[in-house]
Amino acid sequence: MASPTVTSEPVAARRRRVGRRHEAFWAVVFLTPAIAALVVLRVVPTVGAIITSVYKAFPGGIIPATYTGAGNYESLFSDPNFVDTILRTLVFNLIINPLQIALALLLAVLFVQRIPLVGAWRTLVFVPVTVPIVGSCIAWGAALNPNGPINALLSALGGNPQPFLTSPDQALACIIVLASWIGIGYWMLFLISGLQAIPEDLYDAAKIDRAGPFRTFFHITIPMLRRPLLFVLVADTVANFVLFVPVQLLTQGGPQGSTTLLMFDAYRTTYGYGSRNLGAAEVVILTLIMIFFVLLQFRLLREEKTPR
Amino acid sequence: MTYIPQMTRRRVLAGFAATTAAALVLSGCSGGDDGSSSSGDSGWSVPSTDPTATIKVLSILDLKTAHMQEVIDAFQKAHPTIKIDYQSVAFDALNSTIDARVANKGGDPDVYWADQPRISALAARGEAEDLTAAFASYKDKFDPTAYDAGVYQDKVWALPIANSTQLLYYNKALLKKAGIPFPSASVDQRMTWEQLTKDAAKAKAAGAQYGMLFGQFDRYYQLEPLPVQLGGSVGATGDKNLTPDFTSEQWVKAFTWYGDLFKQGIAPRGMKPEESDPAFVAGRAAYTVEGPWLIPQLGESKVDWGIAPQPVFQGGKPTTPTGSWSLAMNPFSKQKEAAAIFMKWMSIDEGGGYIKYRSDPELAASTEGKKIYFQKSVFSSPEGKKAAPIIDYETSHTAVNRVQTIGYIEFETILNQAFADIRNGADAKTALDNASTQLATAWKKYE
Repeated sequence: MASPTVTSEPVAARRRRVGRRHEAFWAVVFLTPAIAALVVLRVVPTVGAIITSVYKAFPGGIIPATYTGAGNYESLFSDPNFVDTILRTLVFNLIINPLQIALALLLAVLFVQRIPLVGAWRTLVFVPVTVPIVGSCIAWGAALNPNGPINALLSALGGNPQPFLTSPDQALACIIVLASWIGIGYWMLFLISGLQAIPEDLYDAAKIDRAGPFRTFFHITIPMLRRPLLFVLVADTVANFVLFVPVQLLTQGGPQGSTTLLMFDAYRTTYGYGSRNLGAAEVVILTLIMIFFVLLQFRLLREEKTPR
Repeated sequence: MTYIPQMTRRRVLAGFAATTAAALVLSGCSGGDDGSSSSGDSGWSVPSTDPTATIKVLSILDLKTAHMQEVIDAFQKAHPTIKIDYQSVAFDALNSTIDARVANKGGDPDVYWADQPRISALAARGEAEDLTAAFASYKDKFDPTAYDAGVYQDKVWALPIANSTQLLYYNKALLKKAGIPFPSASVDQRMTWEQLTKDAAKAKAAGAQYGMLFGQFDRYYQLEPLPVQLGGSVGATGDKNLTPDFTSEQWVKAFTWYGDLFKQGIAPRGMKPEESDPAFVAGRAAYTVEGPWLIPQLGESKVDWGIAPQPVFQGGKPTTPTGSWSLAMNPFSKQKEAAAIFMKWMSIDEGGGYIKYRSDPELAASTEGKKIYFQKSVFSSPEGKKAAPIIDYETSHTAVNRVQTIGYIEFETILNQAFADIRNGADAKTALDNASTQLATAWKKYE
């Protein structure tokens, strides 16, 4: 911060004015692409979805849409299938997010220890991330086929073959396993880098104070990991709320609606049933739910303001 | 000077806010996009002399692989002043293509292939021309259901070029092995589904891999006649067929029977519709219910096959699936008279040029066209000879159209999912009830 210099007033003022204009010009130049992208890719679609959701229209065709206010939302909430879909989506996220993050953290903590072949282990856990999700879905679909290799293995070990994706009681759990198989390795990487950024002195100090491993973990690792943890928590939550590919490829929301998550339902309503206004209302609801959870997470993991 | 002037920053932000607001207004406009929905005035008729024109035709059949070139050539020979600019797209892309092109209002395509259950929606959306004045007088040329498939709110919107039905095929060797008598080929001695269930179970016990198959498992087209035979509705009711009606006793009874086929292992659970024909042709199933398009495949196979009418529930009224493709006209076409000549030639003239000149045998929608169809070589074998009268009878007497509703896509998608669930073990009543509430929501947009 430069402090104002004392010179003759008119010159300084003029220079300041020119300088300001100059800066503003470059600010606009540099910010425009980012802001334009934000507006075009985020604001316009969101606002577009909100507007579409208060209209009612024929699928396709040349008949203009009519304003319906909250009509689409009323239709959605009066359908017990949709209410079930929301509850299912919430339960799914309440299970999958803590599960993925706990396992990712566990692996991250494990893989920063001095264990043999640590690089190989890390790579193995990360490999699923590098496989395109469509590929891993197809592989899992084949593996979980009632006549597939996993059941063959179960039978060989003396267990009973399971219906997996064809059972309304197991399909969603299968989706959770599949998504976590990919997700854990990915989120683990962020946590590893976060762990490595924690200064060794803190651990040394803890050792001198004779803190045990649990105390060290909860009083040093977790607080110091707050930033990467918050990022992973938010990003993982968002990713799981919009999880789509496994449902579309493996179950199409079935059997008996047991894997119909909100994102898939919004897609199916829009493109499968041609109800783009109803689908837009679902997208708005999904966005609101996501914003609520993300804000909640920010609040929970807010860092205490350090006085400057 | 590194101090950022507050005023300027605020002004820049205000500028962006204004841009954003403008974007909102713009996208707001698209929400209420206006456009005339007039279906064009029918100030045209089928002329007695040919105009000179080039008409654009949008189809799902490829010129070469689906042998459409022969048909187009025959038309251009009969009507030398009318040129056909023929384009084909995949079935899945057809409706979005029609939607986009017709809404352009440029008149391209002039004529397009219309999937019969979607004709109501095409008419309601203003994407089809009213053909009543030009073609209603030809009603008697067609099988009643084929003509009705193009009618929505008492007006004609499309002309049928083909039709379909379903038959019961059986594997003689597998039936003999199980000591089961062959079903009668007479439509008066139609087998019952109850008897078929028993016989198919017997055949399976005697070594057949599958007791019975459907050509189109879990699809409304195939399964609609089941509840209708018992006196149930076609699946929707009300003024415009926009109230789901598939939770009645008859529907539950029919689909409990359907679910039981798979529970008892008479029919297989995992099999996809496209796997069904190869399984029967390879001699792995005792019975299958499938369309006449299986006859040519069986003629080339080693299977010793027989044919019978599609069964009926005990005490029920015989009803069979039907329906195929029609031709519709773009209301923005600038060459409606030439387009009408082409449509008439394809579906009516000489029994339908489409049936007459296309080498792939396809069941005709017109009485005269059926005669041409039954002369094709596939009906010359002993079983083929038995098939012809059954097909003729079913298309004129027992055929029942798929429900005519502007919300057909949602209807079919949701119902087929329910059928798949029932096949996989879901309780028929629960599955149909859930599908009904789901469809009611999806249909609210038409209220």
